Amino acid sequence: MQYQWDFSVVFRHFDFLLQGAVGTIELTGVALAIAMPWGLVLAILRILRIPVLSQLAVAYIDLFRASASLVLIFWFFFAFPVLIHVDLGPFSAAALALGLQAAAYFAEVYRSGIQSIGRGQWDAARALGMRYSPAMLHVILPQAIRRVVPVIFLRIVDLLKTTSLAAAISFDELVHHAQRLASDTFRPVETFTVVALMFFVTIFTFSQLARWLERRLARSD
Amino acid sequence: MSQWNFSFLLRRWHVVLDGLYGTLALAAVTLAASLAIGLVAGMMRSSRSAPLRAAATAYVEFFRNIPALVQVFWFFYVLPILTGIQENAFVSAAAALSFYSGAFFAEIYRSGIQSIERGQWEASKALGFRYLRTMRYIVLPPAIKRMVPALTNQAIEVVKLTTVASTIAYHELLYQGQLLSQTEFRPLESYTAVAAILIGMLVLLSWGSTRLERRLARTE
Repeated sequence: MQYQWDFSVVFRHFDFLLQGAVGTIELTGVALAIAMPWGLVLAILRILRIPVLSQLAVAYIDLFRASASLVLIFWFFFAFPVLIHVDLGPFSAAALALGLQAAAYFAEVYRSGIQSIGRGQWDAARALGMRYSPAMLHVILPQAIRRVVPVIFLRIVDLLKTTSLAAAISFDELVHHAQRLASDTFRPVETFTVVALMFFVTIFTFSQLARWLERRLARSD
Repeated sequence: MSQWNFSFLLRRWHVVLDGLYGTLALAAVTLAASLAIGLVAGMMRSSRSAPLRAAATAYVEFFRNIPALVQVFWFFYVLPILTGIQENAFVSAAAALSFYSGAFFAEIYRSGIQSIERGQWEASKALGFRYLRTMRYIVLPPAIKRMVPALTNQAIEVVKLTTVASTIAYHELLYQGQLLSQTEFRPLESYTAVAAILIGMLVLLSWGSTRLERRLARTE
């Protein structure tokens, strides 16, 4: 059987795919806005060793890291509304699931950064009369974050990749638009080939940027 | 507050069991295939031949940077065209996830192989060993020992990834959970049960891998 490839239909509806890409970017952005600050809170709670709170942070991080992203998306879309009696749309459910999970990953990234800063920095801040929070805020965190910037980049890229799973609850992102286009045009192979390449170009570029940043930061350290 | 009621799970335990079997079968096949693909690609990545290195790099970068879901869909539609066989959810999912995960395994093997000192290679050459025998008897045994934590982490990722196969109607745990949720009208309990079973499996897996790591550390 000889298959006739025909990409022209896909390119004729390329703007429809681009609309989907906008959805992908929005979801990534909102999930990040949840994950980055919440992850920092978790990391600090974990490091501080406050009884109960630290254990809760560890349990949270372990639980979300052990969960499959797609299961979390389904849980927040179908199960969580039953619990809270509020209907979540696909966007809120996906953003919540992915944001809360990514926070667990970000927490571990921040923690490794904070713990990589030598004791001497803490001692020096203390010698200057700084208490815990100003020392953390002005001395430790700026250095720690700088060190983990490349890893943060990789985590963001990973999140972008994971948002594709929101297609399973019919959120209008790139993959869901691809599914609709594929069933409208009867060209699933061409559609998914184009979408795969769109993801590849974006994610590959960002990963290379992360590597470049890593080399640059390593030089200036 | 809604009433939690898990009793339907006992009545319809075979639906859950089918899902568990589907997840385990897909995870096992994917794991075996991606470990093999990863080994070949990882060896190519650390070989001295530039074309081999380039081919393996292209493979790794390509498959690692495309979402697993897109690859699952792609294989689902392309396999019938390329091979002429009927659309098959298991084969498509296993192929897609193996290539995807194989790219991650390749990087683990590569860093493991490259962590072995040059002197080992030279000593092996001095003994008259060729490339493949050096790999098999000198380099890989200690390298794999060093890789165990990374390999088990990736194995856990593979189990989590199998849930993606539910999107092409492969009967694994998540798909069976959807089925239960729709027929019993109990989404909260169904999806919570699916999440709990999967996490239980992963906790077992990571407990086993920690034990393995400790045993290997003793023999170092």
